[in-house]
Amino acid sequence: MIIERIDSYRWRVPKHGGMRTEALIFADEGLMRDLAGDAAVQQLANVAHLPGIVGPAIAMPDIHWGYGFPIGGVAAFDEESGVVSPGGVGYDINCGVRLLATPIKIQDARPRLAELMDRLYGAIPSGVGAARSDLRLDVRELNRVLQHGARWAVERGYGDDADLEAIEANGALADAEPDCVSTRAKERGRDQLGTVGSGNHFVEVGYVAELYDDRVADRLGLGPGTVTVFIHSGSRGLGYQVCDDYLDTMIEATAKYGITLPDRQLCCAPIGSPEGRRYWGAMNAAANYAFANRQLMAHHARRAIATLFGEQTAERTRLVYDVCHNIAKHETHELAGRPRRVCVHRKGATRAFPPGHLELAPRFRDIGQPVLIPGDMGRYSYVLVGTERAFTETFGSTCHGAGRRLSRHKAKELARSRNVVKELEARGILVRAASRATVDEEIPEAYKDVATVVDVVDAAGIGRKVAQIKPVGVVKG
Amino acid sequence: MPYRFLPHTADVAVELTASSEPGLYQAGLDALRELLVGTSPAVPAEERPIERRGADATERLIHFLGDALYLYDTERFVPVRVSPSGIYGQRFDPARHAAVREVKAVTHHGARVEVDDAGYRATIIFDV
Repeated sequence: MIIERIDSYRWRVPKHGGMRTEALIFADEGLMRDLAGDAAVQQLANVAHLPGIVGPAIAMPDIHWGYGFPIGGVAAFDEESGVVSPGGVGYDINCGVRLLATPIKIQDARPRLAELMDRLYGAIPSGVGAARSDLRLDVRELNRVLQHGARWAVERGYGDDADLEAIEANGALADAEPDCVSTRAKERGRDQLGTVGSGNHFVEVGYVAELYDDRVADRLGLGPGTVTVFIHSGSRGLGYQVCDDYLDTMIEATAKYGITLPDRQLCCAPIGSPEGRRYWGAMNAAANYAFANRQLMAHHARRAIATLFGEQTAERTRLVYDVCHNIAKHETHELAGRPRRVCVHRKGATRAFPPGHLELAPRFRDIGQPVLIPGDMGRYSYVLVGTERAFTETFGSTCHGAGRRLSRHKAKELARSRNVVKELEARGILVRAASRATVDEEIPEAYKDVATVVDVVDAAGIGRKVAQIKPVGVVKG
Repeated sequence: MPYRFLPHTADVAVELTASSEPGLYQAGLDALRELLVGTSPAVPAEERPIERRGADATERLIHFLGDALYLYDTERFVPVRVSPSGIYGQRFDPARHAAVREVKAVTHHGARVEVDDAGYRATIIFDV
């Protein structure tokens, strides 16, 4: 495959074969070297074959192999002639991240850190089969969650209206259709609301270690040394099952609508078809479940903070922002000088809207949308803001994380003779985990250095660095 | 061993070998159980029905393992042995079993069942 260099951070795969458009990769030389021979680039070129794709098929610097679409991919489709694809969203629908900023300074938190981690571990169920004993939803109530997302949680006292302003889409997608979610999916998700899950999901306590834009950081409540809480999770078993259910539907729809694909995993349906519309309703409902899930976890994190640092401290713990990593959305973007409605698939990519965008709450209009980029549990994470350049070049999108470099098997081998929990503790990072296997598979070396990824998007102008956050404690599944 | 984990960066790939289609299901079930609860001992105490569905052997295998995963996710039913109408297994027992990892799905990606003189061979990728 021919890959042409455009500039220091942009690479192009020219249109060839059945590609309807070119592919655009954001990466520096080192990341491109790592990508050589990786199936992810071929997957990106495959996405460019899909009907109705507009603009290039785009890869972020954290691109890696995914199911059909690569992870770290963005693709937009014309609303009339385009398609919607579950593979372009992923199994964990609206997997995402939220960040809380506390009024606590790191030096005041350190003496009570072990206790804080214990309280968080106790308050937010993690690991396989984690369920909340204090929340049992019947089907009617679960349908309300699927319809109203984070608002459902706020109306029941889990957070306040200010939280909703700081969530992508205000924490509720209007196109949700709970009736399009199967009974099986509802069964899988019924007792998992408010739980973190396992794998790469986590709750992480950190502090603001470095600032790149003092003014914006201050506006987001991220002063130097501020203690933060990152929450990374998604739609749990409910979302996985929605994806699984609709892959079967879409495999049939692909044949029914005569869509030719280079890879069966790109199965899709026209956006306006009955199959496309049903997936859309179910996917939006699962996304709302994920918003409510993270809202509940944030509430319980605040309660843990309240028990140790007092009610006032918990009340002053603000939601910085909550972003989706795996989602498809109808948005208006400018193409060939004209506004056009498109369906943007972001899979392992983050929306990064610029200052002035009307979808942002007034308090973010002059700074742009906060973008949260978690790294591995040993190094650092970043807060960025969206840019005009992201809006014009990448359908308002940027990267989402570090991306794995080692398989889980390799990571476990590497960790076998070590005590990763002790090692991290020696570096000032306390780990609370349900399973040693998860910790071993998630060792920091299993991931790329997220700084490399973030530096590329910052240098390319599709995201702007605001702050670096270093971990001091992590709850893993 | 009728199953063998293969290198895969993001997820878990497994190769299954057997002399028959039900044997392939058994190998897949054994691999799935190892992913879910490691090598903790499990016994075939109860049966759960699983309807065999799918247009070909590959689809049938994916659906079979997907249904076993659903039973684990919703009932904590640890799969042990394939039966003519479903699977035998037991409820997760914290005293005997370790909950090792969450498996999101049994994917269609790269899934294939091949049959030749040597028997049945399949590759399956679990999204974890």
